[in-house]
Amino acid sequence: MAEIRLEQVRKAYGGVVAVHGVDLTIHDGEFVVFLGPSGCGKSTTLRMIAGLEEVTAGTIRIGPRDVTELEPKDRNIAMVFQNYALYPHKTIYDNLAFGLRMRKMDRAEIDMRVQKAARMLGLEDFLARKPKQLSGGQMQRVALGRALVREPDVFLLDEPLSNLDAKLRVRMREEIARLHQDVGTSMVYVTHDQVEAMTLANRIVIMRDGHVQQIGAPLEVYDRPANLFVAGFIGSPEMNLIEGRVENGHFVAGSLRIALPPGVEASGEITLGIRPEHLALTAEADGVAFTVRVIEQLGAQTLCIGEAGGERLRILIDRVDGWSPGQSIGVRFPAARLHLFAKSSGRRIATAKQ
Amino acid sequence: MSSKTTIYGFLFVGLAVTLALIVAPAVYAVSLSFYQMDSFIGAPKWAGLANYAAVLQAPEFWRALVNGAIYALGSIVFQVVLGIAFALVLNETFPGRNLVRGLSILPYLLPTVVVILTFKWMVDGGIGIVTKAVEAMGLPPINWFESPGAAMASTILVSVWMWTPFVTTCFLAALQTVPQSLYEAARVDGTTAVQRFFHITLPMLKPILTVVVLLRAIWMFNKFDVIWLLTRGGPVGATENLAVLSYRRAFNLFDIGGGAAIATISFALLSVAVLVYFRVFPLEDD
Ligand SMILES: Nc1ncnc2c1ncn2[C@@H]1O[C@H](COP(=O)(O)OP(=O)(O)OP(=O)(O)O)[C@@H](O)[C@H]1O
Ligand SMILES: [Mg+2]
Repeated sequence: MAEIRLEQVRKAYGGVVAVHGVDLTIHDGEFVVFLGPSGCGKSTTLRMIAGLEEVTAGTIRIGPRDVTELEPKDRNIAMVFQNYALYPHKTIYDNLAFGLRMRKMDRAEIDMRVQKAARMLGLEDFLARKPKQLSGGQMQRVALGRALVREPDVFLLDEPLSNLDAKLRVRMREEIARLHQDVGTSMVYVTHDQVEAMTLANRIVIMRDGHVQQIGAPLEVYDRPANLFVAGFIGSPEMNLIEGRVENGHFVAGSLRIALPPGVEASGEITLGIRPEHLALTAEADGVAFTVRVIEQLGAQTLCIGEAGGERLRILIDRVDGWSPGQSIGVRFPAARLHLFAKSSGRRIATAKQ
Repeated sequence: MSSKTTIYGFLFVGLAVTLALIVAPAVYAVSLSFYQMDSFIGAPKWAGLANYAAVLQAPEFWRALVNGAIYALGSIVFQVVLGIAFALVLNETFPGRNLVRGLSILPYLLPTVVVILTFKWMVDGGIGIVTKAVEAMGLPPINWFESPGAAMASTILVSVWMWTPFVTTCFLAALQTVPQSLYEAARVDGTTAVQRFFHITLPMLKPILTVVVLLRAIWMFNKFDVIWLLTRGGPVGATENLAVLSYRRAFNLFDIGGGAAIATISFALLSVAVLVYFRVFPLEDD
């Protein structure tokens, strides 16, 4: 087990920069998730850690070793690929054992490790089969097992669950979380699914266009998104973002006028954010008038989409039955729940509470 | 017209064409082997198995069988080994790759006669470029068509030259279907490039390898044009295979029944070989 340290790691393909200098330290035993939209450089960063992609500049350390120039096999990492990448003509047993055999480990030790991994992942009955004879979930387990038997310093996983159906994805997510608890090895996990990131990560690294946007614990990035991009990307349904300006301690946009918490150092043009689940409904007289346009029933909760003061708002409340479009109600913006962002840079503006 | 009628219509046409162009001539050829005939004009005389007896007793038959096997085996081994090697090279990225890929198929597109003539010029005793090169290296001249060993080598050489591109193309297509992530997984698993070839590339190529070897084997065993144009089966039968022998017997020696008997035996041998081959290398494994 070891700490992984990226220092100013960059990757350019010809003139196209896929990853701009990334600085990141992954602590021993930590579960770090790279999260971001397609093409933001998550896989490239992961593959540079693996050694499958050369770095253009920067240093990668695993434990005390500088591994920047090392081949993947010499980095003591194990990788799980999106399409599993199981050897199709080898049995499951041989798939699991292959990496150990290539390392000239003795037979008894290989067998012990393979059997142990098979037990942990419920693969005992499939060891004699070929990958083609397994379901997607089972193949995914074999891919995990192949990494597990290696007992590496770090597990690298590139969208390991994206080929599975929704239900299986949830189950495998739990299995990966349990696996991480059991083995305690650092894991770096790439996904574009924020639920996976929120549920699995100790820390999330949010990326966009090859730049790291924010690094933090799941609730930290949820509670205090560092900029507009993170604010919009994390959380479902999406945060309401309203452009306006600050006037005498109030946020003003059109006919909307919202009191800001005291002590906010903001002026001029800003963007105000508030999560749909943090808007509170009241009697029409007590708040801003909100007209419901669309009602989405999510089961336990109801998502109301409508407008207040000329601005579009999403409000997530406990389930209500029998509402219909056109309904009018009052809405409040709790000051403690407001997020403020500079309009020009998109950066978060600190409020006194934080 | 109902779809059923349409299906039967197509089926009928297909069957009729197959019957007229493949089955009927084959049956006719086999039936000829039971008659004594010295031309296609005179009336054939029933000969029973006499043609077979005569053919099998002639040492030239056994010589041709062995020659055919050597020629087929030799040219297949080189075609496959070189074909895979070229495919691996052409599968790498390098500048001008598409041009090289395009050019490499050329020998396969040329008519056999052109390839043979080119080869004959190249090894011509007076002006051939190969002859000059051999001379320049201070080696004794090679008698390409006069010494039995060299003649066999020439036929194999020309065949390898002509058909390696076909094999390369087949393997190149197959290589492109191997997922890159398998190689990456193997790199993480600690393999060398050579180990990746034997653990991933070769097993992934196995299905196409099975088919290509079979196709090449059948074509090479029945090869006529290359040998006939290059050596006429000579010197003194050193490169004569069953196809050439059958032709010579039927059309040069005017023993049509004997030629047909040789062709029939050759066909039977090949059929048995193909059956055995499929037993040993089933197309659908696991
Ligand atoms: N071999 C390559 N040559 C040129 N550009 C590349 C290459 N590989 C990746 N890129 C570019 O680098 C950028 C980052 O790619 P990367 O695969 O890391 O994205 P990602 O975040 O993993 O996206 P996804 O979620 O779609 O997998 C993309 O803009 C991509 O087009
Ligand atoms: Mg990716």
